[in-house]
Amino acid sequence: MYQNPPPAHSPPLHHPVPQHVSTVPQLRSPPPPQPPSQPQSGYGYGQQHAMPAQQGAYGGNIPPAFGGFINDPTAQLGFQMGKSAMNAGQEYVEQNFGRFISVSALKHYFNVSNTYVANKLWIVLFPWRHRPWSRQQRMANNPSDVFYLPPREDINSPDMYIPMMALVTYILLSTLLAGLRGAFKPELLGYTTTQAISVMLLEILIIKLGTFLLNISSSSQLLDLVAYSGYKFVGVIVSLLLTSLFSQLNFGGAWISWVVFVYCFNANAFFLLRSLRYVLLPESNPQGVGGGAAGYTSSRSQKSARTQFLFVYSYVIQLGFMLWLSKV
Amino acid sequence: MVFFGLGGLLQFSVLLINAIAILSEDRFLARIGWTSSADPGFGGQRDDGIKARLVNLVSSVRTLMRIPLMFINTAMIIYLLIFG
Repeated sequence: MYQNPPPAHSPPLHHPVPQHVSTVPQLRSPPPPQPPSQPQSGYGYGQQHAMPAQQGAYGGNIPPAFGGFINDPTAQLGFQMGKSAMNAGQEYVEQNFGRFISVSALKHYFNVSNTYVANKLWIVLFPWRHRPWSRQQRMANNPSDVFYLPPREDINSPDMYIPMMALVTYILLSTLLAGLRGAFKPELLGYTTTQAISVMLLEILIIKLGTFLLNISSSSQLLDLVAYSGYKFVGVIVSLLLTSLFSQLNFGGAWISWVVFVYCFNANAFFLLRSLRYVLLPESNPQGVGGGAAGYTSSRSQKSARTQFLFVYSYVIQLGFMLWLSKV
Repeated sequence: MVFFGLGGLLQFSVLLINAIAILSEDRFLARIGWTSSADPGFGGQRDDGIKARLVNLVSSVRTLMRIPLMFINTAMIIYLLIFG
């Protein structure tokens, strides 16, 4: 039993294990790295003999044809580098944009369908007969967590697809009309873009100031207001198009462009009046039974002030902005 | 048509903030009663009228924007001297 003591033989037995680990990076090659003729040479010194033969067989084993280029280690390295670069870029974008606006919240606004867009355009241009204006909510798993349905499933939800497309269309259309008049300059594109964007910014500033002064704390976000401030471009586009069409056809006179504009403005103002109700006039549930008459009257006056602000915002301020945008 | 772009919007807002910030506390605001009253204590009822919030806004702008406005105005003056 004591004839073969383990310490004498153990160094050659345990020695190959780190060697095998060190050869692992060289073995990271295409999936069929070893030709079937070569058996797995296990641990030990046989591995070192097998390495040169395996590398020699590697060049001949993989055919340099078209199908083999995916297995090419260079291509794989390229793929991996591209993937990691993409991931890094995406992370960078998410980090820098996510600081200001969350991308997932933006995705909610672009979740639209064809029928939604058609119906919404119809509502923006003809809002008189539309009946339920309230947004639908859905309960999440816990009842305290209520979120609004995306535009795909709820016609009254604000989206950002229509405002964005309308903004781009407005810019292109106004420059096109200037070109038809023979007044096209390349700078006109930039002028119109900054003007339209600053109109939207000014409008959001106004409504933010109004909500601050009136102490309206609703759960709606800034992005809702951005979306709602963009819907007026639809009316502006329609009025611009019809005005230029009628002037081309020599139909009517200056009055018909005013009629079209007044109709579009009224439709847009009515749409905003109804849609912004839930932003500016949130349902204030009574705090308690002991509120008393004082709370009632204060909420009454508050509510009337809010209603006046809503009216002024959606009629007077919109009138100014739409007039401004329509004068190309 | 007067061109009004992002630069105009920036200028407009800077001028507006300047106008709020130069209102004198004891010569003008106190005379028309626009100074902010004592802060409500814990549990005190906040006055939530429009005027109270406007006064609050003015005093916050005056407190907060005084030092940044110096730099913003200096930068704007230099910009307008060179490019304006």
